[in-house]
Amino acid sequence: MQAKNGYFKNNFLALVLILPTLVILSLFLYYPTIKTFILSFYQVAFLGLKKVFVGLENYKILLTSSEYLQIFKNTFIFVVWSVGLSLAIGLGLALLANHKVKGKRIYRLLLIWPYALPPAVAGVIFLFMFNTQTGIINYLLNHLIGQKWAWLSNPTLAMAVVILASVWKAIGYNVVFYLAGLQNIPGDVLEAALIDGASAWTRFWKITFPLLSPMTLFLLVMNTISAFFDSFAFIDLLTKGGPAGSTTVLIYSIYRDGFEYFKTGLAAAESVFLFGCVVILTLIQLKCSQKMVHYAR
Amino acid sequence: MRRFLLVTILILASAIPVWAKKIKVTFWHAMGGSRTAFIQRMVEDFNYTHPQIEVTAEHKGSYRDTLNAAILAFKQGKAPNIVQIFEVGSQLALDSKIFMPFQDLVKPTDYAMLDDFIKPVANYYKIKGKFNSIPFNSSNPILYYNKTLFKKAGLDPNNPPKTFKEVIEACKKLKQAGIPYGITWPLHSWFVEQWIAEQGALLANNENGRKARATDIYVDSPAMKRIMSWWKTLYDKGYYAYSGKPEDWDGANNLFVSGQAAMLITSTSDVTIMQNAAYEHNFELGTAFLPVPDGIERNGVIVGGASLWVTKGHSPQVLEATKKFLLWFTNTENEVRWHKGTGYFPVRESAVEVLKIQHWFDKNPAYRAAFDQLLSTKTNRATQGALLGMFPELRTIITDAVQKIFAGTPIDQALAEADKRADAALAKYNRSVQ
Repeated sequence: MQAKNGYFKNNFLALVLILPTLVILSLFLYYPTIKTFILSFYQVAFLGLKKVFVGLENYKILLTSSEYLQIFKNTFIFVVWSVGLSLAIGLGLALLANHKVKGKRIYRLLLIWPYALPPAVAGVIFLFMFNTQTGIINYLLNHLIGQKWAWLSNPTLAMAVVILASVWKAIGYNVVFYLAGLQNIPGDVLEAALIDGASAWTRFWKITFPLLSPMTLFLLVMNTISAFFDSFAFIDLLTKGGPAGSTTVLIYSIYRDGFEYFKTGLAAAESVFLFGCVVILTLIQLKCSQKMVHYAR
Repeated sequence: MRRFLLVTILILASAIPVWAKKIKVTFWHAMGGSRTAFIQRMVEDFNYTHPQIEVTAEHKGSYRDTLNAAILAFKQGKAPNIVQIFEVGSQLALDSKIFMPFQDLVKPTDYAMLDDFIKPVANYYKIKGKFNSIPFNSSNPILYYNKTLFKKAGLDPNNPPKTFKEVIEACKKLKQAGIPYGITWPLHSWFVEQWIAEQGALLANNENGRKARATDIYVDSPAMKRIMSWWKTLYDKGYYAYSGKPEDWDGANNLFVSGQAAMLITSTSDVTIMQNAAYEHNFELGTAFLPVPDGIERNGVIVGGASLWVTKGHSPQVLEATKKFLLWFTNTENEVRWHKGTGYFPVRESAVEVLKIQHWFDKNPAYRAAFDQLLSTKTNRATQGALLGMFPELRTIITDAVQKIFAGTPIDQALAEADKRADAALAKYNRSVQ
């Protein structure tokens, strides 16, 4: 059998080469996904020794119970704020680091460092910093304005700290990609605009930003996925779901329901929900990109 | 060629002792930090003195992680022989049906060792009169206090507060002396459960779930309200502090050790750590009974900590080796050793006798409080503790309620909501095991 196009003349060889990856994906991704989906229709007893089919009851609980509506709200707030802030700050820092300043190599290195830190380590650092009685933040605050804020035991402040920790860690990633994107912008377009008398503001929004839009789309998708899943370490270390459940996000709730409370069926339903949210968001972002993202020809 | 054959035969011959079969026993535990090495040394001692048995101990993380790991291993058919399960996981362990009652392994000649366990401990771990697991590390909550700071505030260092009101008064004096906080303890439901037991109250119906499976949890009982209103008073007046994060044992320890709080309520398993910290930070440590509500007769505390469960489905040979190890691991000498190295309670009467003969408690008065407190505990359903399958979830419900109360929700309302949540969760759990 000869293939008409494509790299491999022989279809069979191509299939054989893909097979190992397919096997691993099936075992570790496709099969568990399907199983989780099926499991969400059961109430599973401790250890999975007994399963009772309950139909859509788990989903009903998720959509009607006030605790889970709170969790969805928390997740929404967390994702919107952390993605928005980390993209904006990342772009700002990348613009600054793009200038020809002395020691710019060192700045660029330092900016990426937080990203290389394991989330657990970053979480503990923030835990120490924001400790109400002995943290460095309250020490400085006390010196400056004579007040100590309850960073982790106040619902709003606790959410702010978790968002801050997550943004701090994600900035490095965004800076690296934006820097690469900025360096790909042809200098003559900006020069032409400068000669025409465009201000820095206009130059940025009319030229730089649109030319960066493929990068922005990519980072938007990656940051959203990261905000949904990687926030677990910060919440577990900093607030354990927060003062009266105010920082419990979906991924933390899945872990808690699955491994602390052993409510496997409910956790499976939440996983399906999370999967659906991320898929829908990614599709929306890709659809928007057709109108708003300009790929250089 | 001949030389080559000779060398080969010699090498193979020298390997024969390794071929001799040892019975392998695996032991999964949740004792971290310095305790991991401690347990490792004990296991090595056993292996050395019992050459036919080889025990391997593995630290699997927290109690919860250890339990999860054991479940997964069982599902794969590779369950460890011994699992350390925390006290409130006992009902879960029973419902899982992967463990066998320890007492079934024991022969009449070993009964004396079972009778040797201290009454309150035996009380907790005997379900329907039978030992399902063997007690190993038992603890209860005690009051640690900084005698140096007490003297500074004009309080009697040998007369620590015994009741809720006395704690408030002591905190007032401490604050006046310029000490930032009077008292701290982790925001954890364990302490709430202890205070309920001290008042002789029950946490669940059907005699705390011990006579029959519990169907109703008493979250908004008068006993609970008494605890919450005292806690809220301490918090509002700035006498009580916590790091902000729930279940933060280290945060509370740090507040006390750094001198920011003059009193600490936490487990007796930290006595050794606290003594060392007091020495390093130059203050005098005192320990005392858990403070209780005023006007009630002190009922006693619930045994905390964990016990060791044996998984079923192994050959009689392996089970015999497991039993041998467990009885050795918790024998008199080792319980004394474990107590001295950690502060966990010596669970055998004979171990207590040895410590008394050694004048241990006279020389180390800090270890005495938990000991006296447990021995003066009355044997009843309240101090036996509740048996609930969804205990972990109940603990989060209670900590959420406490945080809501701190944030301003009226106590009655917060407890009523928590009660509803708890009962709903219990009903769901019970349905899953019906």
